[in-house]
Amino acid sequence: MTAPILQLENVGKHFGGLNVVEGVSFSVRRGCCTGLIGPNGAGKTTIFNLITGLFLVDTGRIFLDQVDITRVPSRHRIRHGVARNFQNIRLMPHLSALENVLVGQHCRNVGILGVLQPVNLFSGNHWREEARAALTDAGLAHYESAAVGRLPYGIQKRVELVRALMARPSLLLLDEPAAGLNPAETDALCDHLEAIRGQGVTLLVVEHDMNFIDALCEEVIVLNFGRKIAEGTPDIIREDPFVREAYFGVEAQTVVRYHAS
Amino acid sequence: MSGYIQGILVLLAINIVFAYAAFLPMAAGQLNLGVSGFAAIGGYVSAYISNKSTVSVAVAIPLGGVAAGFIALAVAIPVVRTRGIYLALATFALGQIVQATILNLEEVGGAAGYPVTAFVGFPFVAAFALAVFTFVCLLFATRFGIAITAVHDDEQVADLMGLDVRAFQIAAFTIGAVVAGIGGGLYAHSFNYIEAQYFSISLSITIVLYVLLGGTQSVLGPALGAAVFTLLPELLRGGAQWRYVFFAAILIVVMVVRPQGLVTGAQLRRLIAMARKDRLA
Amino acid sequence: MLGSIYAMVGVALTLSIGVLKFLNFSIPGLFMVGGMATWALIRAGVPWLLATAAALVVGAALALVVERFTWRWMRNADAFVPLVSSMAFLILFENIAVVVWGSDLRGLPRLFASVDWHVGYLIVSVPQLFCLVGSVALISGLSLLLAKTRIGRALRTIAEDSETALLLGVDVKRLVPLVFVISGLFAALAGILFAINYRQVHPFMGEALGLKAISAMVVGGMGNVWGAIVGGLIIGLAEVLSIQFLGADFVDIAVYGLLLLILVIRPTGLFGGESSMRARA
Repeated sequence: MTAPILQLENVGKHFGGLNVVEGVSFSVRRGCCTGLIGPNGAGKTTIFNLITGLFLVDTGRIFLDQVDITRVPSRHRIRHGVARNFQNIRLMPHLSALENVLVGQHCRNVGILGVLQPVNLFSGNHWREEARAALTDAGLAHYESAAVGRLPYGIQKRVELVRALMARPSLLLLDEPAAGLNPAETDALCDHLEAIRGQGVTLLVVEHDMNFIDALCEEVIVLNFGRKIAEGTPDIIREDPFVREAYFGVEAQTVVRYHAS
Repeated sequence: MSGYIQGILVLLAINIVFAYAAFLPMAAGQLNLGVSGFAAIGGYVSAYISNKSTVSVAVAIPLGGVAAGFIALAVAIPVVRTRGIYLALATFALGQIVQATILNLEEVGGAAGYPVTAFVGFPFVAAFALAVFTFVCLLFATRFGIAITAVHDDEQVADLMGLDVRAFQIAAFTIGAVVAGIGGGLYAHSFNYIEAQYFSISLSITIVLYVLLGGTQSVLGPALGAAVFTLLPELLRGGAQWRYVFFAAILIVVMVVRPQGLVTGAQLRRLIAMARKDRLA
Repeated sequence: MLGSIYAMVGVALTLSIGVLKFLNFSIPGLFMVGGMATWALIRAGVPWLLATAAALVVGAALALVVERFTWRWMRNADAFVPLVSSMAFLILFENIAVVVWGSDLRGLPRLFASVDWHVGYLIVSVPQLFCLVGSVALISGLSLLLAKTRIGRALRTIAEDSETALLLGVDVKRLVPLVFVISGLFAALAGILFAINYRQVHPFMGEALGLKAISAMVVGGMGNVWGAIVGGLIIGLAEVLSIQFLGADFVDIAVYGLLLLILVIRPTGLFGGESSMRARA
């Protein structure tokens, strides 16, 4: 087994008196797709925020590809290879889809010369071409020049994903990527993520849709009230008594919501 | 061209330069109410240099800009750390301090104002204005422009995407100050006289207002705002004070009806995309 | 005594910021309107008591106009829009005043016999004392209103969260204009008191004083009524001290330097708590 691409060691975070995350430790294997599940408020998004550096941990350490990034400032973490999307889409509303994707490239294009790249001046610039190709591959070429604020929800989600991928991450954090998508869109997303995995990107996915997790993930980590309560394959997780307890009442709704596989 | 029309066009050119001076920090999400202070620094420094030495005006004016830039850089780091309304107020305080300091400098005339010997005519001023406009357009066509807008839209996500938010804000602030300084220098040498009283908070507010009128979402907005501010009252005919009354009234109405200003990013983007024929067949 | 006038304008601003999270730049303009309207009416032969009352009414009316065009429409647009529109109103008021009355400094007649009390080293003039006592009384009254009455509680609810306030049945639509009117009245009254005591008015008096009041408010802590008062006294004191030790020329530099320092070091001011100012450019 190769070394894990992500490792959390006894990570804790509190806000005021509330321990949002406490004593969480897990690893994510390289090339794997791992799910991160738990009831609302379990601390899943907080874990993402800690990994990307939006918050600093109070206790514990985080290793990305064996490098200790616990104290690395947030803007440098993307260069260590971790990128993410957001639960409520956060594209830059005053930029077009293409320009948002160009922002994704920024971490690969640093320094004065990088900043002065004429990406918006003429078509010949290779960064611009790279961004356009990425949008075309995702089937979004038509929306290139559109102001993102006006695009349909599903399209915006896909643009956000392309933006995150532009950073060429080795680890991609996905926060509820299937939320708000209809079954057809969800299937398409699943295929797309499989393709991304095929290119060597490790995925860590937060989702409520258990069918989605089943189809995509080999490993699942379960959080509740800021602590890890279980981990293993989706089958093991489904039978775990602690998990069933945590999801009591929620699980039934999840099964009803989507078609049986 | 009659002298009167030339005078208006000179004013338009100078206002356009001021507009871009305010636009740069605003595009990064910072309201710079000290624009007039940096213009004053540039004006006085360039006037002093051209008065006291044999340096040509074409060099003195950019030097004034650089001086303003240095001061901006010196204060930028603590000032940019403040955010939102605090930044606006800090820049306002800065502008007031600059104005008050100049009023005390007898070397450059103090409260009596400072006469400037060298004169620059319309072609000179227009050339500088055009240079500033071209510079800003080119700058915004680079990754810098995208980064600035990203910082303006969502600092947090910009930071997570690897952008050094502080550095971009400081850069926008400083470059804006340099442009303001150049505008001040042009003003000083066009009117052959410069006085601190002119560079007041009212001037900063007015400049910010006509930039917002034009729209901060695109590079063309500020120039349009400056044009409306300078030219419309001429068409409506009225004394100097009526210009401000009209302008303020128009602005209030525009803010109600179309707060994003006259030129929006979306329109501009469509125009550019069509011109570039960038789309897939 | 000047400190108490600053304090009143500061309170007007603070009320607006505290309840509406909106820095109302038109308040210095209302200050000026209060003072100049009083002068204009007295000059026209109106007895001073009636003139002051009329000036207050004018102030309140204009405050409502400002509310209609800044707050009412733009609550849902970008946060900076009300701020910008209020600046435009300041420019509008100032320049209408210039158009109507000219830009000269105007004097008022002495309304009260100069009765001076000698208290130790201080020579206190009765009008100034009245001014001080009056303003402290009003500010205390306002404080009590906010703390004890139903309206006060409603206002504080709006300050916390205007949407929840709506849900709780607070009549936001009627209370918001009330806030504008109260702050307008305080500002106008401060202008009237200034006019009566210092007997000088001019269209740009709002800038000189109103801006120092903004400084007072920031120093004391935005959103905090008593903080505004303390801030006003501190600014007044800073002015007196700098005249004493540095000379009259450096007063502005000292005051705005203090403001800048506070903003950089402790933006929430001496007494301000967590500030959630939304105004951003």
